[in-house]
Amino acid sequence: MSTVTHPAPTRVAAARALGATKVYGSGPTAVVALDEVSVDFEAGRFTAIMGPSGSGKSTLMHVVAGLDSLTEGRVLLGDVDLGTLSDKELTLLRRDRVGFVFQSFNLVPTLSARENIVLPDRLAGRRPEPGWLDEVVGTVGLADRLSHRPSELSGGQQQRVAVARALAGRPDIVFADEPTGNLDSRSGAEILGFLRRAVDDMGQTVVMVTHDPIAAANADSVLFLADGRIVDHVEAPTAASVLDRISSLGG
Amino acid sequence: MLSLTLKEMRAHARRLTGTSLAVVLGVAFLTGTLVLGATLRANFDDLFTEVNAGTDVVVRNATDLGMDSPRGPIDLSLVDQVAEVDGVEAAEPVVTGYGQLLGADGDAIGGNGPPQLAGSWVTDPELNPYRLADGRAPEGNDEVVVNRGTLDAGDLALGDTTTLLTPEPVEVTIVGVSTFGDEDGLGGVTFTAFALDDAMAHVAKSDEGVSSIAVQAAEGVSQDELAARVGDALPAGLEATTGTEVSTEMTDEIASTFLDMMLMFLTMFAGIALLVATFSIYNTFSIIVAQRARQAALLRALGAVRGQVLRSVVAEALLVGVLASVAGLVGGIGIAGLLKGLFDAVGFALPAGGMVISVGTVVTGLVVGVLVTLVAGVFPAIKASRVAPLAAIREVAVERTAPSVARIVAGTALAVIGIATTLVAALGDEDMLAAVGVGAVLTVVGAVVLGPVVARPAASLLGSPVARLRGMTGGLARQNAMRNPRRTAGTASALMVGIAVVTLFTVFAASLQASLDETIDRSFGGDLVVNTGAFGGGGISPQLATELADLPEVDVAVGVGQGAIQIEGDTKQVSVADPAELSQVLELGVSEGSLDDLGAGTMAVADASAESNGWQVGEAVPVTFADGSTEDLTVGATYETDDLVGGYLLPRTVWAPHAVQDIDSLAIVDVAEGTSTADAKAAVTAVAAETSSRPP
Repeated sequence: MSTVTHPAPTRVAAARALGATKVYGSGPTAVVALDEVSVDFEAGRFTAIMGPSGSGKSTLMHVVAGLDSLTEGRVLLGDVDLGTLSDKELTLLRRDRVGFVFQSFNLVPTLSARENIVLPDRLAGRRPEPGWLDEVVGTVGLADRLSHRPSELSGGQQQRVAVARALAGRPDIVFADEPTGNLDSRSGAEILGFLRRAVDDMGQTVVMVTHDPIAAANADSVLFLADGRIVDHVEAPTAASVLDRISSLGG
Repeated sequence: MLSLTLKEMRAHARRLTGTSLAVVLGVAFLTGTLVLGATLRANFDDLFTEVNAGTDVVVRNATDLGMDSPRGPIDLSLVDQVAEVDGVEAAEPVVTGYGQLLGADGDAIGGNGPPQLAGSWVTDPELNPYRLADGRAPEGNDEVVVNRGTLDAGDLALGDTTTLLTPEPVEVTIVGVSTFGDEDGLGGVTFTAFALDDAMAHVAKSDEGVSSIAVQAAEGVSQDELAARVGDALPAGLEATTGTEVSTEMTDEIASTFLDMMLMFLTMFAGIALLVATFSIYNTFSIIVAQRARQAALLRALGAVRGQVLRSVVAEALLVGVLASVAGLVGGIGIAGLLKGLFDAVGFALPAGGMVISVGTVVTGLVVGVLVTLVAGVFPAIKASRVAPLAAIREVAVERTAPSVARIVAGTALAVIGIATTLVAALGDEDMLAAVGVGAVLTVVGAVVLGPVVARPAASLLGSPVARLRGMTGGLARQNAMRNPRRTAGTASALMVGIAVVTLFTVFAASLQASLDETIDRSFGGDLVVNTGAFGGGGISPQLATELADLPEVDVAVGVGQGAIQIEGDTKQVSVADPAELSQVLELGVSEGSLDDLGAGTMAVADASAESNGWQVGEAVPVTFADGSTEDLTVGATYETDDLVGGYLLPRTVWAPHAVQDIDSLAIVDVAEGTSTADAKAAVTAVAAETSSRPP
């Protein structure tokens, strides 16, 4: 299923947006959330998307992840044009090829940590690969917490369960929406470390929306959005260089 | 997905338990009804088969006018004739008829449904369904054997003397106690048995007519064989029926009278419980689904297709339905046992025997319970499956709070049409009764549809005094009720249905009473009515009317009896009275002909009956009576008001020669001029008490 087992030598796009436009509402009250955005998310890389509130960064992630549809333009996941898929095909694509980490953990409260991790597999009616599952669980350090319910776990532990869930299905691409937004800085740093290792050790592709420059500094590159357009991008960012760029954009 | 469903159910166990209670009750009532019905039927069947085991063939009049009319008499001399038929071991005459036994306190025992019987004590134990449990068989001098249940109910004992109304009072001495098979009696039936001669004198009121002949077959002769042989020896108009068939008829008769009444009542309860269950399940699932909308969205985002979300909620409903139905099934069997015990405890002897739990009962209970739950759960499930995956991520209110325009329009239209129809129909004439019902149902549906629209303003308005009086707590309560109008409306709807059902019964009962009163008021010229005070049973002697008419306080007194005749094969209920006298106390609204001229060979017919049969005044109609004879009766008059006397009115002179037992059901009295109604009532009551409850 996974086509990327090592960092890709030639930079293949795991996902790309071509002239992606998203307009909410119509007529005079219409809001343009994305304005002809074209971008490649390269396979085996960790990309951060930044921008002020209302810049369209979340919308960009949603349309690329197949959670929302475009008004105009195209989104390709691998070589699949998401605009041509039915709701059911889109759902199956999310299940089989996309991993999600959300800001508010989003675990099913009645299921144990282990059951939450294998939920996408269960939805697909698959058995999780035992060796891979152990590796993922080991990576996020949850081996002794697997039978706990989310309510018995700390916020950091819950988000680690969410990361494990995103990685367990060996998706083509993992989307993380403010994954550290609800965590203290230590837990946040841990989560970012796991995402980093997923890219470095497992060859995973990760796209993360964040407004935290320190979080963004973990990425390989940072995209800056404002008013629905990509206005800048930084390779090999540091917290300082990101902050610097934000202040220059803001000013 | 199933494991998730199960875990969700465990998490909501308390709420689901509350919900499923309604299903449990509904299914319990339903299966209880079915089990009780099947059990009693089987038990009665066993009992009749047992007590009739010795009776292989019954000889009786072939004319059957239904349960309400006893069969005509047959000639006593036939007994010897039957006894001589090859294969007959024994043959004995049987007399059965009406007889109301008075208890130690002077009140009639039994009635209100089960028949009050008197008849002959069959001396051959093989042919007698009753067994002598104590004392001895009656030997004349108005000695009687009474079944134990009746004696207990009337606080009577062996050796006591009391009065039997046939309906003429007869003073009887209790010399024996009987049981029906091993039971104290047959349901609430009272049975007082004389020696044959006394029975013929008091009950059959004839020196040559008996009700039937019980026949026992000789060794090696089958019931069917014997019935055929005896049948060949009988004159026309009589029939020989096998004992097995008679047992079946008895079971059917019991089933179609009190069993069906009771079961209908229980079924109605079951229906209401299931209706309330539907609403409460719909409500609970709506709430559960709304609470879980984010979770449904998460599942959708993670790759659950709509069908999976739909199925998980439906599976939950299914499981609740199955669990509740199984619990209801068990409860229903318990209810059946409990009810049976209850009947026994209040002296309504039911035959012993095991519970009959048929596959059909189990399947019906389970299917109905599960279907009700599924139907109620499927709409919330569809709603859950429609949630957008994005709702998992966005902090948006998943529930739509603004009611849709379609809801407002449809609800308002339904309510307006419903209220308008109800008002127009209710203020119009009686023929629009059905329209009132349709209007009322439309109004209720409209109210359900409009619920979420009006819930918020209504909660706001009704809640404002609460908020003012109770401060913070009251304010929060008001806000909670307003915040989710759909949920508030759903809860209110369940309550509304409950109240609607209670109202339905109250209004129905009140209407029934009112229309009964109105019927009597409208057609009543008479001032007083004498009846037995019992519902659906009992009778008074035709002599009473004659005696009352002799009172100085009374101007006219007319006895009215009930009976059955057959016209072109159809059984018709008739009233029997002196038409000329009746027209003085009842305003029948004669359309054609005259009641005063009715005499031998005539009858009066209601306009509706005349029209449906296509008869004119002067037309002769062949009428068959209970004794099997047929007479051509000329339609002498037609009348409009048929609510008290029914469709057919026969002069007493026409009826009497064919009557099996002449009993009046009521006597209508017109008070003499110058006498107050109260004085007349006192005089009439004195005579009535004298004739019917004390020996002359």
